[in-house]
Amino acid sequence: MTSALLFKEWKKTKWFAIGAFAVGLALLTYIFLKLGRSFRMVGLEHLWDVIVNRDQFLFRDVKYFPLATGFCLALAQFVPEMIQKRIKLSLHLPLSNRKIVFSMLGFGLLALLSIFVLHLIVILTFSVFYFPMEIIESMVYTLLPWYVAGLTAYAFTSWICLEPTWKRRIFNALLMFASLQLCFLSDFPAAYSLVVLAILLIPFYVLPFGYFSVQRFKVGIQD
Amino acid sequence: MQQAIVECKNLTHYYGKRCIYENLNFEIPQGRILGLLGKNGTGKTTTINILNGYLKPRSGECLMFGESSANLSSETKRKVGLLIEGHVQYSFMNISEIEKFYSAFYPKWRKDAYYELMKLLKIDPKQKISRMSCGQRSQVALGLILAQDPELLILDDFSMGLDPGYRMLFVDYLSEYAKAENKTVFVTSHIIQDMERLIDDCLIMDYGRIVMQKPVNELLESFKRFKFNCQNPEAINEISDIYNPVTIKGNTEVYSLLAKEDLESLMRKNNVMTNEIQEESLSLEEAFIGLTGKY
Repeated sequence: MTSALLFKEWKKTKWFAIGAFAVGLALLTYIFLKLGRSFRMVGLEHLWDVIVNRDQFLFRDVKYFPLATGFCLALAQFVPEMIQKRIKLSLHLPLSNRKIVFSMLGFGLLALLSIFVLHLIVILTFSVFYFPMEIIESMVYTLLPWYVAGLTAYAFTSWICLEPTWKRRIFNALLMFASLQLCFLSDFPAAYSLVVLAILLIPFYVLPFGYFSVQRFKVGIQD
Repeated sequence: MQQAIVECKNLTHYYGKRCIYENLNFEIPQGRILGLLGKNGTGKTTTINILNGYLKPRSGECLMFGESSANLSSETKRKVGLLIEGHVQYSFMNISEIEKFYSAFYPKWRKDAYYELMKLLKIDPKQKISRMSCGQRSQVALGLILAQDPELLILDDFSMGLDPGYRMLFVDYLSEYAKAENKTVFVTSHIIQDMERLIDDCLIMDYGRIVMQKPVNELLESFKRFKFNCQNPEAINEISDIYNPVTIKGNTEVYSLLAKEDLESLMRKNNVMTNEIQEESLSLEEAFIGLTGKY
């Protein structure tokens, strides 16, 4: 039964997930081509100077990709459930409501993590050929908050979609805006090295709130 | 008396300050097809939502198979086939995907029942539900419920958006299935002609109350329209047991459960001056209008 639920989520989000992965790869290809051009035009010594002495980050173009992916995946997954209150169909399935909602959220989180991990693997595989471990480590700490922002955007957007009243949706959206700010406070390389684990908790803390909104929907709370 | 599969006790519900109904009580007996009839806004969908646990009433409770509808177990949900208003289904799936999806949840799944109905649609199994007409979607939704083989079918406004052909197909198929398999059905619809062909019992709601709950044949045998000329129609309004009297240019029309002779003596007793009273039998739609009024 759980696999049938996951199949339903896959049917809803398949084209979006494949599209997001393809856009991510296209973005990385663009970044790699740009870097390759810089290697050739200005030389590796100059790039080294830019990275080490001027604290520039070469993958800045990736910054908003995870955020947009998390936001859009939640919309692709939960807007069809809320149109015509289709979620009633899901809640009528012979499973506990908790299992139904958490399977849906779990699927989204897993899909998003898969896209992000593959994305990071491509970046790191490229980077190990050109950069020492210290720079790669700094790169990871710079990139992670942006990917956490993607997970946070997913958790909040799914909560907003599942919430039955506009007043609370607006409140949730303001909370999302404030929480996302925490992930974009600084572009300085490795600025988040000490707090990255703390902000990583945000999406996992927010995700279960979608279940409480479904419970509110279930008792008939509406505008 | 058959065992009640659904029992609603003292249901009261308000939207804000607007009362939908107070102390509503009714039962759905096993093996019967019960139609809930009411004008727009009388609380038909509200009742269905409460029954399925999608709405918490202000007070009172609904029991489905003995369980509170607010917290139905998986086992009870499995026994209930639900058609949501507008034949809502997962429109991003095609007809074979949606069959596979639902089959995983129901051990008694009857694939043949679903595909028998799908054959009538003459559409490609790979066609997405979102690209189907409303009529085709209604058949997909019905086919899925029949394949689920539930003990109780709850159908909210099944005729919504359907042309006469699809409505008739829906009614015939459902009626045959329910009778053959001794299923219990709770159904609402705006189109009362369809209900007349389908339901055994009717529950007629007006704003805030149940006007009548009776087997349809009993209602149609006893509830009549009476026409006569009347010189003092205002006197009729004082009489109980008479529903929705209307007088236009001296021609009066009333509805009642009384026999003609009893009505005549009641009129005489209340000094209502009439000529000869004509009695007319009613269709279910006319009886519905007679009980709830035209406005």
